[in-house]
Amino acid sequence: MIVQEGARVITSSAIPLLAVEDLRIGSPAGSIVQGVSFSLRRGESLGIVGESGSGKSLTCRAILGALPPALRVMGGSIRYKGAELVGLDRRSWMPLRSKSISAIFQDPGSYLNPSIPVGRQLAEALRVTLRLPRTEAYRRSLDLFRKMGLRDEEAIYRQYPYQLSGGMLQRVLIAIAVCAGPELLIADEATTALDVTVQAEVLDLLAELRNEQGLSLILVSHDLAVVAQMCSQILVFRHGVIVEAGPAQPVLNDPQHDYTRSLLRNHAQFVIDRVPARRRITDHATKPPSSPGVANLAGPLLRLRGVDVTLGAGRESRPVLQSVDLTVGQGETVAVIGETGSGKTTLLRAILGVAPLQQGSIFFDGAEIAGLRGRPLREFRRTGRIQYVFQDPLQSLDPDLPVGRSIAEGLFIRGNTDLASNMARVEAVLAAVGLDPMLRERLPRELSGGQRQRVVIARALILDPALLLLDEPVSSLDAASRTQILQLLSSLSRERGIAQILISHDLGSVAGLADRVAVLYRGRIVESGATSDLLQHPRHAYTRLLIGSAPTLADGAADKLERYKLRAALAVADKI
Amino acid sequence: MSMNPPATLAISHIAAAIPSAPAIPSASEQKGSVRVVLGWLLSTLAIILPVFLLSTLVTFLLGAASGLNPAAGMAGDSATPQLIAQINADFGLDQPVLRQYFTWIGGIFQGDLGRSWFNRVPVTELIGQRLAVSASVAGVALLLGIVFGTAFGIIAALTQGRWPDRAITGVASIVSSLPPFVIAILLIMLFSLWLRWLPSAGYVSPAVNFRLWLALIAMPSIALSVDVIADIARQLRTGLVATLSENYVTGAIVRGLSWRRIIFVHVLRNGAGPALTLLGMKIPTLIGGAVVTETVFTMPGLGMLSADSALRGDVPIVQGALVVCIVFVLTVNLFINILQGTLQPASRRR
Amino acid sequence: MSALYRRPSARFALVVLAGVGFLAAFGPLIAPQDPLAQHMGELLRGPSPRHWLGTDQLGRDVFSRLVAGSTISVLAALQSVLIGLTLGVLPGLLSVFLGRAFEWLSLRLIDALITLPFLVFAIAMTALLGNGLVQAMFAVGLLITPAFYRVSRAAALSVANAPYVEAARLMGATSFAVIAWHAWRKVLPALAVTTAAMTGACLAIVASLTFLGIGVVPPAPTWGGELASELKTLYDRPFGPVAPAFLIIATVWALNALADAMRDPPGVKP
Repeated sequence: MIVQEGARVITSSAIPLLAVEDLRIGSPAGSIVQGVSFSLRRGESLGIVGESGSGKSLTCRAILGALPPALRVMGGSIRYKGAELVGLDRRSWMPLRSKSISAIFQDPGSYLNPSIPVGRQLAEALRVTLRLPRTEAYRRSLDLFRKMGLRDEEAIYRQYPYQLSGGMLQRVLIAIAVCAGPELLIADEATTALDVTVQAEVLDLLAELRNEQGLSLILVSHDLAVVAQMCSQILVFRHGVIVEAGPAQPVLNDPQHDYTRSLLRNHAQFVIDRVPARRRITDHATKPPSSPGVANLAGPLLRLRGVDVTLGAGRESRPVLQSVDLTVGQGETVAVIGETGSGKTTLLRAILGVAPLQQGSIFFDGAEIAGLRGRPLREFRRTGRIQYVFQDPLQSLDPDLPVGRSIAEGLFIRGNTDLASNMARVEAVLAAVGLDPMLRERLPRELSGGQRQRVVIARALILDPALLLLDEPVSSLDAASRTQILQLLSSLSRERGIAQILISHDLGSVAGLADRVAVLYRGRIVESGATSDLLQHPRHAYTRLLIGSAPTLADGAADKLERYKLRAALAVADKI
Repeated sequence: MSMNPPATLAISHIAAAIPSAPAIPSASEQKGSVRVVLGWLLSTLAIILPVFLLSTLVTFLLGAASGLNPAAGMAGDSATPQLIAQINADFGLDQPVLRQYFTWIGGIFQGDLGRSWFNRVPVTELIGQRLAVSASVAGVALLLGIVFGTAFGIIAALTQGRWPDRAITGVASIVSSLPPFVIAILLIMLFSLWLRWLPSAGYVSPAVNFRLWLALIAMPSIALSVDVIADIARQLRTGLVATLSENYVTGAIVRGLSWRRIIFVHVLRNGAGPALTLLGMKIPTLIGGAVVTETVFTMPGLGMLSADSALRGDVPIVQGALVVCIVFVLTVNLFINILQGTLQPASRRR
Repeated sequence: MSALYRRPSARFALVVLAGVGFLAAFGPLIAPQDPLAQHMGELLRGPSPRHWLGTDQLGRDVFSRLVAGSTISVLAALQSVLIGLTLGVLPGLLSVFLGRAFEWLSLRLIDALITLPFLVFAIAMTALLGNGLVQAMFAVGLLITPAFYRVSRAAALSVANAPYVEAARLMGATSFAVIAWHAWRKVLPALAVTTAAMTGACLAIVASLTFLGIGVVPPAPTWGGELASELKTLYDRPFGPVAPAFLIIATVWALNALADAMRDPPGVKP
């Protein structure tokens, strides 16, 4: 059988590189994963999709021989080049680790020792696996960093993990993972936490390693588009079993199983095509775009003009926002898209009065709110007209309070101390966000991620706001919860006419919801306009890069050459 | 005597042991690195110095508040008011309190701790004679505490949930309730009375008779160290268990590093922080406990000197002994802070 | 609180403490003999039906002395803890909210207190200021203040920077109201743990001090004092130290076990 991978054609050998048969993982209490069978050939890349808790990560851990202490392989076999991996003791694993099988994970920084410079950790891996002498290991480390695309490798060698960005850290981890020349690399949600432009580059790197060195890949992701771009084969996991398997494109274009179909439905709310003529928005559950006339009639609800924000003091001050103009009409939903470090959270904090403005003004309902301090600020906040939904619901709720009390906090602050009436309103608002009103007695840690997100939205809602500020509302949720929250936000806008500003680094997840999109790059709004306009005719180089970097189900992200051209255009635009 | 309870809440949340170390800029931020290290040194001093001054002030005020004076001891019943006044002036006690304090502090920086009110012998001389005794006992106790505490802590963390862990944690929790002098007495009952292996009183310099020295300080050091071993073992275990569940341990395993390497190079470095902090806080306790063990074992050490002098009312000796202890504690804590900064550079940034 | 009852070690500890509390409250009343009475004809006897633990070198009934001494020892420990609480908790909380200067000053003062060698200082303070138990307890209370300061400061710090506090502020609450509402629920459990543990520590220190003869006004009995006198008569009564040692150890252990039980969240194995 001939498998087409990138530009090369690989003839498969008789023995598959990895053969998993009827794998069962669990504990004496029960099985978590069962009946898992698949095989992987040299140079092939396999994508594993499914939601969190579906067993995909555990399967990978089993292949790596790194299951958590409470779990074991209860049955089945995992054969690597014919040799059985299940039941191997630590000593027998040593020659395989890093030299044959390797892995990279989500949140790369946490997989490195925070107290040792990253270069030394790579050198350590080289010394231990390849038994290189120190000087050779140092030289090879610099070499590897360079190959992974890290410039200024000598300085990076000495950095500690906390000093590097997510993309750089993932490259460091990839360097460590491939330094001993493994044949199989497992990437478990390796790009999930990265900005979309950085993700594209990391995926490029992995594709290069696959194409030029014959590295076999197992790519685990909840993002179907990433898998579609990178993998020739796909497995769909659900509740610990494989529900569908086969070549990637056929499965994704014509799924047989219901679950696969629902996964595809929950995937990005719109589909971007690289070819401009074919670009369109597929609205699955969004509202019809509000006509511009309605918004202007009442006058803008919120208006930022020439806002400058500088953070830090003295020598360490740096401008975070520069000359930002933004308008939000009554009942309008605006998405502000920006990557890490673009200043998007600062933008919300400026509106809330937490980050002071160097210059500019912010008008809400016609009144200037930027300079409010002390009592006037508190009184304005108590009106509840602008409400903020934090990025991390778990942290923004007092862990020892039942969620009902947290939701009612705004009411208590206002001075309504009647517990009974407050609780009645809590129950009403819980129903409005689609939760069982009786959940109000639970503690935050007893709820799921999606439920917690609704709780914090409920807390904002109970004060009857005119404007909701949402900071990455769906980034930490899995696909199903994501859809539900987006539908909730959409209904809030439709039925209650609440205006919203959504901050996100992922254009795909919020574009279906937004009337208008503003793109934030390095503290400036480089482009803004109606959503469909922006997507079909992006003008600024950065917007084009954003759109081009996002992987799609149909064709994958813009290929490397095209993105390189986009980056060059961006560099030119930067100088202007 | 366990002054510091197993409540790790305070320990793990607060920044560092005393003196709290200021942030060191990272390697990449060190453009003028010499200037930066100097800056760090100065900020450390900016913390140590006030603490030193405050604690010595409290010590000094204690003596001043006691209302005692040398005249009562030296002159006896037949003292005339003029004689008393003259003796007091001799010792500088006619000066205002604050000036006395500064004179005293100035003397300290020159190595002069004043003179005994009873026999006018320089305090430094008196303390010097006894220092070796206390230093031996406290030093060996500290060594035992670190070595065994670390060993037990590591074992407990690696065998988490299984019997070695339960045994160590259980014994440690019982043992840390035992005041050192209770342990000392039990040890005497066992090793001196019953087994007759070890003598129960006295001290010799190791230079004179090493084996006898060892036999004499064995029980007191063990008695003092038990508390330290127990607390460090428990704190280290907690810190290591938390560190072992971190992602980078998984990463290291997947990379093919050996367990020995993972523990000693990676885990210990990051998990030992709270235990180090605890060590710093136990040093004053250790010194204090020495007083009791010296009494139980009848050893002519600093602790006994302080207790006897306090009961006699010989203030300068008491103050001098306290200052010596303070200096020792601050020095050890300084080293501990430097060690922590070296092991965990990430904790240096604010 | 109910979670406490689930752990066997905590239940046992509570039983022990109840016993000690009973002794402390009613000690002098329930002692079978007068602890001060000297029976000159029965010096240094072993246990007997009349003297359950025998007699000391002055012919006094040891058992009665220990029971009566419970009151003094326990009360002294509680006194110190109270002083430490009073002096430490409020500054600890305030250090987070009153600005840099207060924070710096209070931190340095606390550092200074920690630097002082505990027992030596307590002895010095007691001896120099008049050899009474009250002075001793004040000294001890002063020296355990840092523990309470640090615990309340840590709890306050964790609350002050928490996102849910900022969330409340964004809804228009004053800093004070927010902190007050959210902080006390975090501080109290930590304080309970520290109080239990510190009481144990203070008891041990009282025992040490009275052992050294500091703060004891003879012929009043205390646990530590009894231990000291038993030590002196070790050759005649070789098992003498066991009883007072046991009392001290059991009480201190029970308090520490209680502190541990309160500290770990329910369901977490020790």
